[in-house]
Amino acid sequence: MLARAAAALVALSAAGLAQAQSPEALGWLRRIHDATLKLSYTGTFVYQHGGRSESSRITRDAQRDIERLEVLDGVPREIVRTRDTVKCYLPASGVLKVEQRVDRGSAERSFPALLPERIGTLARHYEIELGEMRRIAGFDCQTVLLTPKDNLRYGYRLCADAKSGMLLKAVTFDAQGESVEQFMFTQLSIGGVTSAQVRPRHARRAWRVEDTKAAPARLSGWGLSAELPGFRKVIELKRRMGESRPVGQLVYSDGLAAVSVFIEPMDARREPVQTGVASLGAIHIYTREVANHMVTVVGETPAASVQRIGNAVEYQRPSQ
Amino acid sequence: MKERISALMDGELDDRSAAALIQALEHDREALESWRLYHLMGDAMRETRLLSQRFAARIGERLAAEPTVLAAAVAAPAEPRRRVALPIAASLAAVALVGWLAFAPQREAQAPQVAQLAAAPAKPAAQAKPPVLVIPLPSATSDYLLAHQGFSPRVSFQGMAPYVRTVSGEVQGARR
Repeated sequence: MLARAAAALVALSAAGLAQAQSPEALGWLRRIHDATLKLSYTGTFVYQHGGRSESSRITRDAQRDIERLEVLDGVPREIVRTRDTVKCYLPASGVLKVEQRVDRGSAERSFPALLPERIGTLARHYEIELGEMRRIAGFDCQTVLLTPKDNLRYGYRLCADAKSGMLLKAVTFDAQGESVEQFMFTQLSIGGVTSAQVRPRHARRAWRVEDTKAAPARLSGWGLSAELPGFRKVIELKRRMGESRPVGQLVYSDGLAAVSVFIEPMDARREPVQTGVASLGAIHIYTREVANHMVTVVGETPAASVQRIGNAVEYQRPSQ
Repeated sequence: MKERISALMDGELDDRSAAALIQALEHDREALESWRLYHLMGDAMRETRLLSQRFAARIGERLAAEPTVLAAAVAAPAEPRRRVALPIAASLAAVALVGWLAFAPQREAQAPQVAQLAAAPAKPAAQAKPPVLVIPLPSATSDYLLAHQGFSPRVSFQGMAPYVRTVSGEVQGARR
């Protein structure tokens, strides 16, 4: 009841501020995009979902294009992203997962999946408007609200430093206006990052390397019987996963949220597939069996969206 | 009384005292009002309303999975029916049960909203699809997330912060 009232309140205040799709709001998204790419920074942020929270330190060296993320709570875990790879160090198990960054052709060579000129197209699926000013971790921030036009995707409340455009807080909210997860910096300093700060802490030890060897490829016969409105296929690839099992991946996106469909042969598994949905913050994971393959749909969308995509996955034996 | 309510909310009461207090809340209108007010205050302070969200969502999911009870609640939100509804909710966390009980005394006013809460998640189910089972995170969750994350346009707004999900404690816990 309270939640309902609060949601109504949020909707009401949002309506009060409504200046839908103002060029100003789109301009702010571009600023955030540029700041993410061009700024060097180091700071501590909290990832919060479903009553849990976890602190991490993130450091970006924009000049060398290296970014390092280290989880500060619990078991040490570290991820380092460079131009070519994402390396995930899990010291507790001695596993190093290496994800090759896939070259998606000359047009989209650089990694950020969203090109600045495409930001305007987000307005097809989201009302984009400026919200209030807020103070976060000592920074005066402008709020940008992205409210979905249907219930197939989540909404976002972004708060960015008014001076630099750096994103200080990102809240993902559902159709009721309730937060499903949030990222928030509690401390941030911009500029002055040294190469030592982005060097992996755990690099020098023996690791059991799991290389994904991902590469674009056609998954013949696999596709969706019906696409989810607004979600277009972005890429189709083959990869290795975990201890080298072959997996196909189809990625769909509306320009902001993405959904991956993973397809793996059943022979590699002994247990039967349990159909159902699991969740982690804004991520939902839907698993089912199709044509003797396990299909796993992973996306930062409401559960119903990953389900709809998952239920539309079909295999048609290629002719000849 | 108010101190005990506050202690209950903070999880400082033992099982027996908590159960007694929950029972008392059912009959004490003023205490129940305090309970609601404290939660409202807590929600306001937390800003994110994460706790309330789980209440509503979990109860909604459970009700969606119980078509018979759902129909009963919508048609006749009367006392005996509600008693039927409670054991189903009982397998939820005790605190969620309290959230449910908190609706009780103002039944007249609350009933339509309870029905609404139940009806909302049930809509997709009504479209001929059975409710989907909620399962634990797959053991390969971190692999899926690592593979997925790189294609999420969010990275363009947020750098690699969303990658934290890949190595979150919960995901690591899902590994066997």
